[in-house]
Amino acid sequence: MRDVGLYYWRQTQKRTTLKDAFLNWRWGQRPKLLWALRHLDLTCYEGQTLGIVGPNGAGKSTLCLVLSNILTPDEGEIAVRGKVSTLVTLGSGFNPDLTGRSNIHLYAAFLGIPRREIDRNIEAIIEFSELGDFIDDPMRHYSSGMRARLGFSVATTLNPEILVLDEVFAVGDQRFRIKSQKRIQEMMSRSRLIVIVSHSTPFLREMCTNCLWMENGTVREYGEASVILDAYDRFMGAPRRLLDTE
Amino acid sequence: MISTWASLFERRELVREVTLAELRSRANESRFGVLWWMIDPLIMMTVYWIVIVQIFGRGEQYSPYPVFILCGMLPFKQIMSGITDSCKVLRAKGNLIKAVSFPTLVLPISTVITGFVYFLFGLAMLLATALLTERPMGWTLIQLPALMVLQIILVTGFSLAVAAFGVIFLDLPLLMTHIQRFLFYGCPILYGFDMVAERFTQGSLGGTAAAEWIPTLYMANPVAILITGYREAIFYGQVMAPQHWALLSIEAVVIFLIGYRIFQFYDQRVIKFL
Repeated sequence: MRDVGLYYWRQTQKRTTLKDAFLNWRWGQRPKLLWALRHLDLTCYEGQTLGIVGPNGAGKSTLCLVLSNILTPDEGEIAVRGKVSTLVTLGSGFNPDLTGRSNIHLYAAFLGIPRREIDRNIEAIIEFSELGDFIDDPMRHYSSGMRARLGFSVATTLNPEILVLDEVFAVGDQRFRIKSQKRIQEMMSRSRLIVIVSHSTPFLREMCTNCLWMENGTVREYGEASVILDAYDRFMGAPRRLLDTE
Repeated sequence: MISTWASLFERRELVREVTLAELRSRANESRFGVLWWMIDPLIMMTVYWIVIVQIFGRGEQYSPYPVFILCGMLPFKQIMSGITDSCKVLRAKGNLIKAVSFPTLVLPISTVITGFVYFLFGLAMLLATALLTERPMGWTLIQLPALMVLQIILVTGFSLAVAAFGVIFLDLPLLMTHIQRFLFYGCPILYGFDMVAERFTQGSLGGTAAAEWIPTLYMANPVAILITGYREAIFYGQVMAPQHWALLSIEAVVIFLIGYRIFQFYDQRVIKFL
């Protein structure tokens, strides 16, 4: 398996109303372009764990969306060999009027998990989510923690070849978090290529083989995890050290 | 993910789940649930019967008026609710579209299917009413499946055209309410096409060229043809004119293809606006 990425991505101004469209047409203005990703080249291979770091707005999440085939790049091209599974926002497909059980099927269908696989694993999913009897209650009576737990339980039944994780480690209470981290590590051990977006450099240092430092939608540095993370820590730590000496 | 028919077919399980979830949640949210799907058309029918027949004292040439109006209301309502719901569906599921990779085509398609299920419930009530009022129904009912197929193609075309567009131009869902009202009176729902033809041939325009082409133009509207088709099959017990069948089929397919093209054009751009 070989992943080749070369993509540039364009984001237009948010929300155009007819009025805007009219004015733009009249004054001959083109909407401003914001390149979330641009001139980004990247190659990853099987067996690697890629960490992505960078300041807010660097394009990390956008890169995840492109990798997961949610967005198609406007420039350049991307080739992904393998089935990608993304854990970004969990449980956003839930219908509040339906029971937890119906929602498991609905969410799984969105994630592309075949129905028989869900039928086989449904008891395990319910057990992992710790919902108990509540599974047959309408979802709108769930607490946000319960929703997140169920979303996590369904999404992690996948057996992906390529796993994309975008800051999903904060689910539920302390106990569930430990449990879910174990689950993610299991999933990671089964996947062949892992992409993790995180702001926690100690975590990435532990997990990753390679690291990508992004800035303004493009690669600032790419290489071995420890080297890049050292540089990134120094870079992000610099302002604090200046304050300390004052 | 780029939406194509192939990707839609691949994810047909998802289409089924989304449609079932939508139907189930609408059935669950009220006490009478599914019963509403049957009560709805009956109430609608009663309201117009009271206003037009009892208060205005009109519609004697369309007696029994409840059957007549329902033949027009049901397909019209399915088309309109298909369009207005599709306008909003991508926005409503915006978070999901940005989190999970699936062909967004699934959403307007299942909206159309959901609407069609309602329509079927209404149609059952219509046929029951027609039986009670002893309409000359019989073998002409074989036109219904063909009409329904054309109706689905037509609604899908309209829905796809507005689904992606409605996300970028937020004014569209708002505008839809007014377009809907305009079309409601512009289609032969409360009245029949014969009334339009009569007005123009015998009114002040009688004998002029306009008296010829205005009714023709009026019947170019695919929704008007569709309604006429249902009326011929259920109310009059006749076969719709072949030129209307031909025109409706051509228009439905053309609108469908245009709608699909529009959807494809906006499909990938839309995600950036959500």
